[in-house]
Amino acid sequence: MSLVQSIVPFLARRPAPAAELGATVKPQHTLREAPDAWTLTVYLPGVTKENLEVTTEAGALSIVGRRVWQQPKDWTALYRETSSANFAATFEYDLSVDEEKIRAELKDGVLQVTLPKAAALQPRRIAVQ
Amino acid sequence: MHIIRYTYPTARSLAPTTAFQGRSPWAGLESEIDRLFANALGEFSEPAAGNTFPVDLYEDKTNTYVRAELPGVNRDAIHVEMVEDNLSIQASRTQKTGDREEAFAFSRTLSVPENVQADKVSASYENGVLTVTLPKREEAKPKKVSIAVN
Repeated sequence: MSLVQSIVPFLARRPAPAAELGATVKPQHTLREAPDAWTLTVYLPGVTKENLEVTTEAGALSIVGRRVWQQPKDWTALYRETSSANFAATFEYDLSVDEEKIRAELKDGVLQVTLPKAAALQPRRIAVQ
Repeated sequence: MHIIRYTYPTARSLAPTTAFQGRSPWAGLESEIDRLFANALGEFSEPAAGNTFPVDLYEDKTNTYVRAELPGVNRDAIHVEMVEDNLSIQASRTQKTGDREEAFAFSRTLSVPENVQADKVSASYENGVLTVTLPKREEAKPKKVSIAVN
């Protein structure tokens, strides 16, 4: 395998983060548009700031949230509706988003990502001479 | 062991029956496929709609635990009540979008094991997950009795 990788460097690349995470679920989310920005709200129950990665790369915003809580050994699950899978989602955006100004805020398991629109696209009032 | 017999369509079953008496073999196929897809894909990426939330139930030797996923809820807006053997959880979330403010209310009632000390129930909310601890009654806890063997 290493020989193949040395010949074809492409194969030596690190696997995508999703592969390391095991099975992932796409979190519930809503996207809203305001005149100056888009707001992406992602529901990540049980995810803390330290376990959340928000990255932008090549026009895609990816969110990876790991669940902190582990079921203690002496707890027996009687009934389950949630899954223990980590959260992962990727959202693509185009040039209308000002990538430098993307902000993210996590509070009580809700991640709010603000994607401001590029200045050239924002509504502007033109003074009449 | 299960034995499943598949009935493959034959020329007879596919031929249009006299004046379409019976049900067409393809009747409802499209809606059935739609339903399959809705079932398989419906859970994903659907916005947080509805007024319910997922809960887990755990137990150990001394307590029963209920864990509810309630992201983005105010601590003050969570009401946990014990009514006889039912645990009811009510919560609400307000979401600000620009100037508008939307409110979502959630509620759920679960029946919990009978041996709970209702007056000692406690709850904590962290990172969008509510954990309710329901202590078991003394007599419900497994007792260890060592018996001397003569």
